[in-house]
Amino acid sequence: MSTLTLSNIAVRYSGQPRPAVEGASLSVGQGEFVVLTGRSGCGKSTLLNAAAGLVVPEHGEVSVDGRPIEGPGADRAVVFQSDALFPWFSARDNVAFALRVRGIGERQRHALANELLRRVRLDGLGDKPVWEMSGGMRQRVGLARALAAEPDFLLMDEPLGALDALTRERMQTLLLDIWAPGNLGVLMVTHGIEEALLLGTRVVVMAPDPGRIALSFEAGFSRRYAAGEPVRSIKADPAFTTARAELADAIFEGEPA
Amino acid sequence: MTLLQAERGRRDLAEPERATVLWPRSDTPRRELSSRTISAITILAALLAWTLVTRLGLVAPLFLPPPQDVLAKFWTVASQGFIDATLAQHLLASLGRVLAALVAATLVGIPIGLAIGASRVGRGIFDPVLEFLRPIPPLAYLPLIIIWFGIGESAKVLVIAIAMVAPIALSTASGVRNVQQDRLSAARSLGATRRQVIRFVVLPSALPSILTGLRIALGAGWTTLVAAELVAATRGLGFMIQSAAQFLVTDVVVMGILVIAAVAFVLELGLRFVERRLVPWAGRD
Ligand SMILES: Nc1ncnc2c1ncn2[C@@H]1O[C@H](COP(=O)(O)OP(=O)(O)OP(=O)(O)O)[C@@H](O)[C@H]1O
Ligand SMILES: [Mg+2]
Repeated sequence: MSTLTLSNIAVRYSGQPRPAVEGASLSVGQGEFVVLTGRSGCGKSTLLNAAAGLVVPEHGEVSVDGRPIEGPGADRAVVFQSDALFPWFSARDNVAFALRVRGIGERQRHALANELLRRVRLDGLGDKPVWEMSGGMRQRVGLARALAAEPDFLLMDEPLGALDALTRERMQTLLLDIWAPGNLGVLMVTHGIEEALLLGTRVVVMAPDPGRIALSFEAGFSRRYAAGEPVRSIKADPAFTTARAELADAIFEGEPA
Repeated sequence: MTLLQAERGRRDLAEPERATVLWPRSDTPRRELSSRTISAITILAALLAWTLVTRLGLVAPLFLPPPQDVLAKFWTVASQGFIDATLAQHLLASLGRVLAALVAATLVGIPIGLAIGASRVGRGIFDPVLEFLRPIPPLAYLPLIIIWFGIGESAKVLVIAIAMVAPIALSTASGVRNVQQDRLSAARSLGATRRQVIRFVVLPSALPSILTGLRIALGAGWTTLVAAELVAATRGLGFMIQSAAQFLVTDVVVMGILVIAAVAFVLELGLRFVERRLVPWAGRD
């Protein structure tokens, strides 16, 4: 069981007087789904990028099982809000790029990439250029590419932020299905209050000025999904509605109405 | 249709349109003239003005021969030649030089552009060199090239290539600098090596910009051609024009200019075609 640990992280962007994030500690275990939420500009992306190794903290340490990380690595695959796909590759080749980096031969790459596309429900669309795809399809290619790295941790920065409501709901169940087997630790940033509750086994609320963790609590709704309960019935549970109102209060605490 | 089916239909429609359109594309049916039609009209108007001016005797043929004379000259030079070579031979000689220079300048310019765009040291070394070379007119460094490399074919190609390196290198560098940060991050977090990042992310990303650089370079190449063919050439469109000018054969001069323009235009179209095939995604992501 791997654990990704961020201890007492402070990040200051060069030229900025104040740190973007200060004193943030967080851990993501395998099988956990940690959701980072909070108002715009409170440092969610910064913290996620620190976990990815894409941003170097001023203080504190990011480690996996006690070993400090050395920059970005395939054990912590990232899904970007901008999808960051390579438009010069087809959907399949985007996924295959992650496999090539791992040194997997051409024959196998093709079959494995098809298999991964099937997992994100894009069967048969491997040859499609990604610039011809819709936002939801692109995000799924990005997800397949991240999974192709066979990561221990999946770090996602608002992966569903740009999607319409219906596509977004379908993507939420897709993410749950990918996480449910329990071999991945997930850290995901979202603005969606309902999304945070539905997906997270733990919900971490950040607050701004300076960016810090204000609140962290366990949520059990995604485990109920993993145990077989349909999303519709989870959302209809009064406990879900109550939790949603409380989370909204926590996020906007201290903000003038 | 059941309500559910109606819902399904709506969901398909709800897929967001990806392309951002700054100006509506002109392929939507409209009454206004397309810019292509306007271009055609402009060209026809110029031809008409040329015909009128010469027909009415406003300008002596020595200064501007009438279009039909130029056309007639085109056929004679094409079939019988001018100064020991047919038009096709002149054309091939020039085309060969320009294309050889393009290949050489690409082989040199792209790595220089990569170095400028991707490394501090590279920028430090090559930026001043390019800034030095760029504004110098080919006629100014021509004597030096002759002194150093003689008057052979390679000197001519070199003169053209020098004019082409800067646009290629600078376009490459700007393409490299504009690689989306997220794409670099994505490649790095998948574990790609520096080499893989350059080969599979940086270069493809910069390709639209590189192709634009090649187009600018081709233009610069044709501009330099006449200078290059000042150097003891016996064939070439530039050489043909200069010789004709010395004998005041104005119709050959005009014909030569038009042939260069036509060939440059065809090459430009070719490159645009390559662009559409190679980087159909450019501007759409
Ligand atoms: N590259 C950067 N250089 C300087 N400041 C930055 C940079 N990136 C982010 N910041 C600043 O750091 C703070 C935190 O930014 P961050 O992107 O982490 O917020 P966020 O919570 O992800 O916001 P959002 O929800 O809008 O994505 C902000 O004040 C932002 O202006
Ligand atoms: Mg963010």
